[in-house]
Amino acid sequence: MIASIARKEFSEIVRDGRFKWTAGIMALLLLTALAAGYQKYNAHMAMQSLAQDQTNYQWLNQGDKNPHSGAHYGNYAFKPAGPLAFFDNGISNYAGTALFMEAHKQNFAIGRPATDQSSIGRFGDLSGAMILQLLMPLLIIFLGFTAFSGERESGTLRQVLSMGVSNRQLLWGKALGIGTAVLLVVGACVLIGGLALSLTGLHAEGESLGLRVTLMTASYLLYAAIFLFLTLAVSAWAKNARTALMVMVGFWAFVGFLAPKAAGEISRIVHPTPAFGQWMADMRGHQMRGIDGVPPFVRFEQESRAIFAEYGAETIAELPVYVGALRLQKFEEYDFPVFDEHYGRLRDSYINQRRLQDRLGVVAPTLPLRSLSMALAGTDLIRHIDFADAAETYRRDMVTRINAYLGEAAASLNTAGGVLVSDQEVFGIVPPFEFRSQGLGATLDEHGGNLIALVLWLLASLGLALWAVRRLRVEED
Amino acid sequence: MKRIIISHETRQLFRSGAFRALLLLVAGALAFAAFSGQRSIDRQVDGAMAATAFEDAQRAKMRADTEAYEARLAAQGGKYEFAGARHAPGAGPPQGTNAGVVGAQTAKYLTLPPTGLASFAVGQSDIQLNYVPVSMNPTHTTTNNLELENPLNLMTGSFDIAFVLIFLLPIFILAISYDLLSSEKERGTLAMILAHPISLKELLASKIIARAGVLVASILGLGLVALFAVGTNLDSADTWARFSLWMAATLLYSMFWFAMAVMVNVYGRNSAANGIALAGTWLALVVVLPTLVSLLATTIYPAPSRMELTVAARDAQTDAEKTYMARLDEYYYDHLEFIPEGDERATDFLTVAMANRNAIEKAVRPLYDEFQGQLNRQESLVQRFQFVSPAIMMQLALNEVSGTSADRYEHFLNQAYDFHARWGEYFSVKFLQRDPLKPADYDQFPAFEYQEEPFGTVLMRLVPSLLGMIVLLTGALLIPFLRLRRYQVATS
Repeated sequence: MIASIARKEFSEIVRDGRFKWTAGIMALLLLTALAAGYQKYNAHMAMQSLAQDQTNYQWLNQGDKNPHSGAHYGNYAFKPAGPLAFFDNGISNYAGTALFMEAHKQNFAIGRPATDQSSIGRFGDLSGAMILQLLMPLLIIFLGFTAFSGERESGTLRQVLSMGVSNRQLLWGKALGIGTAVLLVVGACVLIGGLALSLTGLHAEGESLGLRVTLMTASYLLYAAIFLFLTLAVSAWAKNARTALMVMVGFWAFVGFLAPKAAGEISRIVHPTPAFGQWMADMRGHQMRGIDGVPPFVRFEQESRAIFAEYGAETIAELPVYVGALRLQKFEEYDFPVFDEHYGRLRDSYINQRRLQDRLGVVAPTLPLRSLSMALAGTDLIRHIDFADAAETYRRDMVTRINAYLGEAAASLNTAGGVLVSDQEVFGIVPPFEFRSQGLGATLDEHGGNLIALVLWLLASLGLALWAVRRLRVEED
Repeated sequence: MKRIIISHETRQLFRSGAFRALLLLVAGALAFAAFSGQRSIDRQVDGAMAATAFEDAQRAKMRADTEAYEARLAAQGGKYEFAGARHAPGAGPPQGTNAGVVGAQTAKYLTLPPTGLASFAVGQSDIQLNYVPVSMNPTHTTTNNLELENPLNLMTGSFDIAFVLIFLLPIFILAISYDLLSSEKERGTLAMILAHPISLKELLASKIIARAGVLVASILGLGLVALFAVGTNLDSADTWARFSLWMAATLLYSMFWFAMAVMVNVYGRNSAANGIALAGTWLALVVVLPTLVSLLATTIYPAPSRMELTVAARDAQTDAEKTYMARLDEYYYDHLEFIPEGDERATDFLTVAMANRNAIEKAVRPLYDEFQGQLNRQESLVQRFQFVSPAIMMQLALNEVSGTSADRYEHFLNQAYDFHARWGEYFSVKFLQRDPLKPADYDQFPAFEYQEEPFGTVLMRLVPSLLGMIVLLTGALLIPFLRLRRYQVATS
């Protein structure tokens, strides 16, 4: 029985001219978005690996100079795109792509693509994710709002129910029929996109691409099912078709447009992001004061006796290492906790804002889905922080290696004047920078809650649909 | 008769719980938007003040050092001398006497002041910092500004008044007018009403006047309340001129959506079909078309890669360092008057750095100009394609009215670049001449004052968007006007 209801629902939808139009437009947009996304992804990846190779080469071939000057020259870290960025570009437009790693300073990633876009870019990217998050639900609503309310209005509901079909069978049949019609559009596009991709290939070794795609598909299916059952519930509950439509369109506008912005704003009120000027002044003031209130120069004086003792030396002449290099290294180390504190404060505000937005997913399923989708695409905040952390770890290792080398090689400068000049071989003690993501495990730990939120939303909408069809009475009509 | 219908419709509206809830929602959304728009502006203003205070304090400290030095000399005698740049504190004249150190190691923050209506549309101001540091570093680093906002929030965008007007207001308008005629027809009351001495045209006009009157008056009134609550420069004529333009744009945009509802209604379909058509129109005009225009702009005029710029700047730097004696000679060739006595050039890292900066500036300038060029071409493409969607026109108009448009920011940046040149010139001349900075010189540092664009320029940039909306509105009114004659009152 369910099968024949589904078949009837499906063929009725597919034969409707409106379906052909909406489905056609949506398929066209989806394919355009995937093609544009892939082109952008490819251009970014090609440029990223070229630029990274070039700056790694530049580091080695920066010319013969003092190693500390070499550390000032530094290196750059360029952020690769996430493995599924062509589908969901996430925060990539708004996060920096190039991070300068130099002596003395921790830096932010600069070069946000959004600054090189017209102001209309703020309406958002046309991406596969955007289409599935915003347009697909509307398609489901359009196809499903008349499922019960329409039959009630045309009087066929009475006939169907009088034939001995149970309310539940009717619900499952209709869900199956509409679901198949939606999948026909979305699934075909995703298949074509996937096929085209497997021919061209993605640069994603060690990113567990298969698992990412599987989880991504599952999340979007959950999301589609939520809208499907909600639409059916409202269609069964509403007195007429237009009320069902208005309620669902209102819900869609709320979860798709209002809720994300409101959640963003609320998260900023609860966990404010410091302003750049304030933050910069705080951190630089803190650096000058010293982490514990002892300025770096004073602290080095205080510690110098202990440092000398460590090397069993009384005077500078007896030191087996160059005192200038020691001081450079100590000053770097004095700054580490200051950087950790201030950059950490900023990062915590980001993370707390994101978590709060995820939690607000209890009122809008788009929030957890959006978060999950970006995470699986590798274009989310976690990935960005991961990248910045990797660059900072590299920077600290770079200056430590260079200072250690300087200390040993320039010990004679303690008593004699002059400058140590090093060449390519010395700069080679710092390995080239290469970003390796932490993989999917860490991401999933953080996003388990979002997956649960989606499942709960599905259960709730399913429950609502079952409740609404149970109170479906022929007499009411 | 018309008056009776208008007052009846208005009473009906207020009696409907759904309408009251919608109105409350609009008011709530506007209040929240005004509040959060103001937060965003305040945050920037506070940030600019903190950054300026910090850098000014750095210079004040350097100045205090030179004052102490001058006093010491006055007491003990001796010549007021120029200090070489040092990495660590040491004896001798303070670093504040070295113009190269002051000019390169402290920054001057230039601020683009927000207009009185800035909180109405955040625009790009959350990405493009409205305060930029100027020092002797290459120009392109000036705009490597570091707004710290969470990229996730930047992606989502601000919940500002512009968002409420562009995205939410049409939904409210469509929700109260999608069944303007169809509901009467479905209830069977349409034929009855038209049996009275009123034409269909008048009936439609009366219904729209009732709805538009209530909604638009509320929006404009709430806008005024928001202006008094969070606006700044309330005593300036500029603010009120901007507010009038805001009202004009809001009125045009709202009327366009009412016209869309009328247009769909005169086709005589049922309410559900009208709802689908209008929801689809909203989606196309407000969501899909703007993203398509943006995609078109970035596809036709893609910005060069920032990564490429970075690599080019580093190549220029390495090249400059490797041939720095030649660079230095080249530099001094341009500035013969600055060659210091003796040959201290080779050991003076600040001079070398200055020569380097010069070389980097020259090397990356073309690439940097290409960024600005592509951005300008994207903006002009958007200007041309804005007419496909009232949402784009409205966004451009609101950014313009609020002073958060790309053009005003470029106007500010151009002034910042000029100032950058003046600032660099002042300090490099003093530095290269080894002319020690005296405390009094600190009062002579170049000062920056932002020159606001003439209001006429703003108005000229607004004209296309406003005219476009007027044309679109006229078109949207004309079609139902012509079509109305064929409307079938009775369902067969």
